[in-house]
Amino acid sequence: MANAPQPPQGQAPPQGAGGRGAAPQGQAPQGGRGNQPAPPPVDPKYNWTSTSRTVVGTRVQRLDGPDKVSGRAKYTFDVARPGMLYGRVVRSPYPHARVVAVDLSAAQRVPGYKTALVHRDPKDEKTNVVMYQGDEVVAVVADTEEHAIDAARAVKVDYEMLPAVISVDAALAGTAPAVFTPANVRPGNAQEAGDLAAGFKAAAHTIDETYATHVITHVCMESHGTVCEWDGDKLTAWVTTQGVNSARDNFASGLGIPQSNVRVICQYMGGGFGSKLQLGVEGLICARLAKQAGAPVKLMLDRKEEHLVTGNRPSAAARVKAGVSADGIITAFDAESWGTGGAGAAAGFPLPYIYQIANRRRAHKDVFINTGQQRPMRAPGHPQGSFITEIMMDELADKVKMDPVEFRIKNLPTQAPNAMWATYLREGAEAFGWSKRHPTGDPTPGPVKTGMGVAICTWGGGGRGPSVAHCEIASDGGVTMRLGTQDIGTGQRTLVAMVTADALGLQPSQVTPEIGDTQFGVSGGSGGSTTAASTSPGIRIAALKALEALKEKVAPELGVAADALVAQGGRIQVKDTPSKGLSWADACKRIGTQAITAEADWQPGMTSATTSGVQFAEATVDVQTGIVKVTRVLAIQDCGLVLNQLTAESQCYGGVIGSLNFALFEDRILDRNTGQMVNPNMEWYLLAGMSDIPHIDVRLKNMPERGVVGIGEPPTVPTAAAIALAVRNATGATVRSLPLTPMKILQSLQQKA
Amino acid sequence: MPKRKDEPGFSRRSFLKTVGASGVAAGVLSKAPAVDAQAVNAVGPGAVPVTLNVNGQSLRLSIEPRVTLLDALRMHANPPMTGNKRGCDRGACGACTMLVDNRPVYACSTLAIEVQGKRIRNVDGLASGERLHPVQQAFCEKDALMCGFCTPGFIMASVGLLEKHPNPTPDQIKKGLDGNICRCGTFNRIFEAVSSVKGGQRG
Repeated sequence: MANAPQPPQGQAPPQGAGGRGAAPQGQAPQGGRGNQPAPPPVDPKYNWTSTSRTVVGTRVQRLDGPDKVSGRAKYTFDVARPGMLYGRVVRSPYPHARVVAVDLSAAQRVPGYKTALVHRDPKDEKTNVVMYQGDEVVAVVADTEEHAIDAARAVKVDYEMLPAVISVDAALAGTAPAVFTPANVRPGNAQEAGDLAAGFKAAAHTIDETYATHVITHVCMESHGTVCEWDGDKLTAWVTTQGVNSARDNFASGLGIPQSNVRVICQYMGGGFGSKLQLGVEGLICARLAKQAGAPVKLMLDRKEEHLVTGNRPSAAARVKAGVSADGIITAFDAESWGTGGAGAAAGFPLPYIYQIANRRRAHKDVFINTGQQRPMRAPGHPQGSFITEIMMDELADKVKMDPVEFRIKNLPTQAPNAMWATYLREGAEAFGWSKRHPTGDPTPGPVKTGMGVAICTWGGGGRGPSVAHCEIASDGGVTMRLGTQDIGTGQRTLVAMVTADALGLQPSQVTPEIGDTQFGVSGGSGGSTTAASTSPGIRIAALKALEALKEKVAPELGVAADALVAQGGRIQVKDTPSKGLSWADACKRIGTQAITAEADWQPGMTSATTSGVQFAEATVDVQTGIVKVTRVLAIQDCGLVLNQLTAESQCYGGVIGSLNFALFEDRILDRNTGQMVNPNMEWYLLAGMSDIPHIDVRLKNMPERGVVGIGEPPTVPTAAAIALAVRNATGATVRSLPLTPMKILQSLQQKA
Repeated sequence: MPKRKDEPGFSRRSFLKTVGASGVAAGVLSKAPAVDAQAVNAVGPGAVPVTLNVNGQSLRLSIEPRVTLLDALRMHANPPMTGNKRGCDRGACGACTMLVDNRPVYACSTLAIEVQGKRIRNVDGLASGERLHPVQQAFCEKDALMCGFCTPGFIMASVGLLEKHPNPTPDQIKKGLDGNICRCGTFNRIFEAVSSVKGGQRG
């Protein structure tokens, strides 16, 4: 059967403190080295401390800012090729059905129609079944986008509807139709530690509650899409991708052609958040259509397709029985958890999240339903594990009448890499005015109640190879740094220039970064908050190696040994005798026609893994309308050596806002009878606007001694839980599932009363 | 199991196509009102001449009446003006925001044929060569953009706001930009950027 359940992705869901770079569930592989021996540790002369950091750690505006604000930046969506045609996919409206017949005759009569491709051949019993709304059936090509839409609409498909699993509850209860093999529910092995019975015996109080988070989708502003152009048997593809190299490999394996025949380009990309780590089937369809049409074809998905087929954050739920001792130590934790990642995809998440509980058990079930499959979404698993664990934390803290901050500190792991939570909790409490927090339930009269909440996070990040950077210094003083990484909006292009400039004593604007193209060599995908840490060592070493060669060229003229020279302030000069030297431009004139080139890969020793973060949130709740407004958030976050203070802060703002959306607004809503998504758009799939944004304070902790770690994901983990706890603190009623809709809040108040 | 046949469905576009010249142009049409096709002065469905005034230049196009302002400039103009983006295609995200007679509009939900004779400005025409508009400068300085896909729409909405309110209050800024969505989460910095442009100048 098509789309039968895939083998489990990795092992049981990661447990506890996220582990070091513990590739969370569903995380794409980050260009591992396989069985190759690890490269030797970095020569100390290349280390971050070997030169004075003049650019690294400062606030540098994005080099591509002017191109983006003026509309000159060309995204895949903007690519136009001579003779380009437009593709469009016809998708199943049903969650589970067999394609019985496809009739293209009406489509072929549509003006501008060029060609079509039947993706699900009714005669092929192996592939003629669609497993979710939006599953690909047919693709068409026409001369304009409007005509492609007309042609797609004119394609007639007969379906035999099949029973579908729509409800997770029904699947768990065994009342749903049997759709997936071997079963709709895949139980995992229970993870146990300590002595649970003894733990409950030692408890002064216990709770037994069920917590849940919902499915949300990535909603990248630029949809997934591709422009494919063939030259004989060579393919050039502009792709909205978080990994040009992995996209190339996906094309090669999907089309059965050598990797060397594929060039993938992604200069600008409108957001990925994990959904663009791997090439979707629409990419391969676009390549096939272009081949078939004998012309370049552009295939961009529309908003509805984005919601249905390009991934989502899986749901998560857990029934938790937990016990706490009179002095505030969690003595026992027993969780039955489940979640759905859609049709045949896993839904793992870490539980309990971070806190140390000696006696614990956790058993997890993946539930398969007939919807599009999950893909990694910004900190996969962590926001879910965080929400479930942190709400429980406050419920337990209230049982023993302890302050939530103190209760958290008391239950933190005693041993964990980079465990900074206690420090940040105390600092944050002071800065946020936590001492003004009232006990659960705002006693202030009037309908608007105010509350505060706190939650913590961790993430692996870290660097790995291969990520080979190529540095070129030309006789006109031009510096180019080339590597096959990509900028998905994080500011990676600017980082490439910054790290290079920092090593060469130049300004970032003096460096030309060349990225976003497989022609620039191998580098990993932008996932797992690994890009900065994976690319910056190779960039720095390649730049310093090229600089060594340049010093050799100018040393005789300055009458010193090459190692007596330093590159500083746009000059190559003698250490301790700055007046003796050459300007960068003059020094480079000695290079001659053959430019200096050097290349280097990632090396251990310049990066490390694991971040800590703490967030405080303040929210108001109108108890008459149930409307929540987040007023303030404080995010304290570390990420090792901060490369660009400006863009690293932006990552924190973005993470907080993403998590606020998760907490209050976003929700993929399915029709319980038809299994169709009822809000596949951007007006009923709610997202925060300017008026919903709180004041956000970011305190970024710079830890140069740790090297580069990565910042993209950790700040999006704890906000949702902190907001939910602020709401609980305000109202005195607990909502144990996301999103915190007005209806749920009013219901919780009613239950309390 | 019952068999069901997929019928070519009714769509917003086909609705717009039907009423292309009837004056129902902008906005989200969530329900199809009963329109008597005979009563409208039908234009199309094939290509018709459309003349637009974009960034002070006259642009003559031959497009179907159903083509939106956004698509007309992105896909039918030569050279194409791809600065403004399509995020949702139904007037919810604001990435397509352009100024029509100084008023921000969702170009994805505005028919090109309906804005003939009006003054259209998009992000492609905002900078004077290499010299950025003060709002564009402010966005760069404050890092008010990440992936940059929503940025052109935010910039045009900000320009429209600042032309109407040269010294906007915080609430005016919030309200003025509430029609735009940024998924990367740059709102705080967009707010800072717009606040830093006073009286149309960088303060």
